[in-house]
Amino acid sequence: MIKNVLLVDDDTEMLHALKGGLKRYQESFAVLLAEDGLKALEILKQKIISLVVTDLKMPNMDGFELLAHIMQYYPDIPVIIITGYSTPEMEHLAREGGAVGYIAKPFLIENLARQILTTLRRESEGGTLHNISSGMFLQLIEMEQKTCTIRLEEKSGGKKGILFFSDGELFDARINNVQGEAAAHEIFSWDAVNLSIQNGCALKENRIQSDLQPLILEAMRRKDEKAPEGRRIKDADEAELVPEGVMEQIESAPETAADRLNKLKAKIEAEIGQQCGLEDLYQDSLWDYRVSQLSKIGAVFRLGEFMLAYIDRGDAHDYILMPGQKTTVVTVDPRCPRDKILRAISN
Amino acid sequence: MQELFQDILNTDGVMGVMLFAANGDVLYKEFPTTDSAAPDQRNWRFLIESLEGIRETDLIFEKGRIYIRKTEMGFLVVLMALYVPIAMVRLNCDILLPSLQPSKPGRKLGRFFKK
Repeated sequence: MIKNVLLVDDDTEMLHALKGGLKRYQESFAVLLAEDGLKALEILKQKIISLVVTDLKMPNMDGFELLAHIMQYYPDIPVIIITGYSTPEMEHLAREGGAVGYIAKPFLIENLARQILTTLRRESEGGTLHNISSGMFLQLIEMEQKTCTIRLEEKSGGKKGILFFSDGELFDARINNVQGEAAAHEIFSWDAVNLSIQNGCALKENRIQSDLQPLILEAMRRKDEKAPEGRRIKDADEAELVPEGVMEQIESAPETAADRLNKLKAKIEAEIGQQCGLEDLYQDSLWDYRVSQLSKIGAVFRLGEFMLAYIDRGDAHDYILMPGQKTTVVTVDPRCPRDKILRAISN
Repeated sequence: MQELFQDILNTDGVMGVMLFAANGDVLYKEFPTTDSAAPDQRNWRFLIESLEGIRETDLIFEKGRIYIRKTEMGFLVVLMALYVPIAMVRLNCDILLPSLQPSKPGRKLGRFFKK
């Protein structure tokens, strides 16, 4: 993923000189330019920016104001300060304000480039993944209770988005100037994405008041509504995983079957609520023979394909069986809203 | 006998009822509507075998649903459309079940059910 670095300085000559000097790093990052803080804010609303390099003294909105705004609204974006009026107090103020770097003018472009590259590397310190469905991966993140910032790029359209997780809980999402649940719905509807993971989450405040799974389901529903008739019910899990970086453990874990079970669980809980009585979900070939026998009953009555069975054996829990290569088994509390669960599954 | 099953059979969408003995013999069957009929099946042992250890099951197929309940005599099978409220059928079976017991020795021959 090519990252965007935003350079902010009212000295346009300086800006263009920097842009020219940083051209040799174009395979690592792209450079965007803004002549003051206000123009920088406009760009921040329109693009996913990975890093801001800003001068301090500027008209309209100076570097300190810009830094404060970024820390408040885009705390995931690191800021490097460059200034021609450097004093120890100013550096102290900049670092107190949240700047990750401070460079006094004049400086060598290579020094700035080195700082930029070092800072950008942190974006993917948790690993990168290519060509994966966002929903599938994010459910794993939630299960593993990770605290991280995930930057995603949609494969087909090139749109970029960010998700913030704290202990597996989705705190916020952002695509350009769209934030919160609306952004999450869009991101989760992307079919295949490239993503990078940064350990840690700069957001301290939860801006999304919903569990991850209902959000993913809602995104899937919207996507399905938008899809042409013939393309509906496309399995988002078809995306291929390409391991890279330190994500090997996570990458090898997701299996389509496991992911489907998670989706099914999410679907039941989303439709009925957490108190649905669902206890466990797994695949068990020991039930295969039973399922094949039960399906014969329907054949005798000419009822078509066997969809699922609810079974009460007088045990501590009841079973819902779904035929497949291996039988999918859902164990539920016998007091569960049986019909609702069956409806949720068969829908 | 039909009156025992009347409430179930009167439920909108219920297509038929069968009562099986534990050995697979059909003790009773009723398919009142014209668009449903008892299957032409003579050996139901496979059904009994497939229900081993099951107290109650609700089988959902593409075109219909089968609710099966273990009784003291064998199994009660209710065939119905997908839209039937299963809770209502189950409740009717709860009410019906105490009546579905083998007659005690010495009673009149052919009297299978308690009234």
